[in-house]
Amino acid sequence: MNAQEFRTRCIKAGQFAMILCIIANFIPGIYLWLFHGIVPSLPDLFQLWLLAAGAFGVSWVVQPLAYYSAIGTAGSYLSWVVGSVVDIRLPAVNMAQEIAKVEPGTEEGEVISMLGVSVSVFVSVSMVTIFTLAGTMLIPLLPAFITGSFNYILPALFGAVYINLAKKNMKMGLGTLAVALIVLYINNFVGIKGALINLLVVIMGMIVARCVYVMEKKKQN
Amino acid sequence: MELQKVMNSPGLWIASSFMVIFIVILGIVYFKMGLKRAKELGIEKERYIPAIRSAAITSIGPSLSPVIVLLSMIAVVGAPTAWMRLNDVGAARTELSMVAISSGLLGIDPSSADFGVQAFSYATWAMALNNLGWFVVALLLTHRMGQAVDTLYTRYDKKWINMLMSGATFGVTGYLLANQIISKFVVADADVLLRCKGLLPAVVAGVVMLLINKFLGKHQRLQELALGIAMLAGMFTAQFIYG
Repeated sequence: MNAQEFRTRCIKAGQFAMILCIIANFIPGIYLWLFHGIVPSLPDLFQLWLLAAGAFGVSWVVQPLAYYSAIGTAGSYLSWVVGSVVDIRLPAVNMAQEIAKVEPGTEEGEVISMLGVSVSVFVSVSMVTIFTLAGTMLIPLLPAFITGSFNYILPALFGAVYINLAKKNMKMGLGTLAVALIVLYINNFVGIKGALINLLVVIMGMIVARCVYVMEKKKQN
Repeated sequence: MELQKVMNSPGLWIASSFMVIFIVILGIVYFKMGLKRAKELGIEKERYIPAIRSAAITSIGPSLSPVIVLLSMIAVVGAPTAWMRLNDVGAARTELSMVAISSGLLGIDPSSADFGVQAFSYATWAMALNNLGWFVVALLLTHRMGQAVDTLYTRYDKKWINMLMSGATFGVTGYLLANQIISKFVVADADVLLRCKGLLPAVVAGVVMLLINKFLGKHQRLQELALGIAMLAGMFTAQFIYG
């Protein structure tokens, strides 16, 4: 088998699996619809899609593009189904290629990347499965203090995630948060619907990014 | 209690398992194809076996780090959904963001008692629609990805593309954070401390995150757990103060 034939086979397998996963992706939603009779209305589904696109749309396109050269064709299909590309797949592939002494981007590199990504998937799926089962049994046994603290999961999560993002670019981080706080506070009196206000803040974030980019560019010149 | 029943029902376990099964099958198929190809290319066993082992060991640490967030996710959306969504694309924080965003559409808070079966159904669809974006792009673009990357980066400044992407991330995370802070702050007839029910855990978690980064930045393993530790610090402090 030559390189091109092998690549074509990888692409075929990847595309077939991708289509299956797209179907699997909606099975829980459809299950709730068929067995419990609850489903968002079509306009609401469209709004949800719009919100998702506004929040992560740029990442949908840019991330697979940006990491393609590092993880290769087969690696890409598998990686974008399972996610955790930056924190699990890339380190696994890098280590595997280093140990096997192959270069990324070469035929050998691609094969080792394929093996590395598959193995990392076996490990992460096992871990998540074990901890979900353990967690489910553990949660009812937890003291009231801890289950009570679950009420504060979201502010704590978003606070930590935001600071972690902002530390790489404080200007953008603080700028966007200030804008978001002001917009939401004012909206409390205006009452624009959640979806719209969410998109508005995302667009504001992009505008802040543009401002910081232009400012930094000017400073360089 | 109906929500708990639905969220953890055997039916939902089955519905959620398809994704995980397909993922594992694709992993096995690629693993077998890779092994066969390695032999064809003349890569010796002495090279690919240690490579596989090191990929496995490298994956253990980062797979452990979302554990605390996994527990939080089980608490919010139930075990089957947490299991499926943490196995597919989208980090726990992305999935929880979609839960918060879809609840926002209904005008409710996911950690409140208003989060019922309807809100759960919205969350399920929201997570699926978000994943769809990655799936479709990977399906349509992977086989012609090479040229696309070059075009994007030559046509536009690479730095600008990256900044635009983080601008959108800041926007969505900023919205979610600000929403948590403001929605609790504007409650009428409460004293200032009570109004800070959103602000306080966020600030504590943020500060702990910064401290871990600053003082323990060299400990790779600890960094992987940083998000979980910071969250727990914020949650426990708030619970201690507000009871």
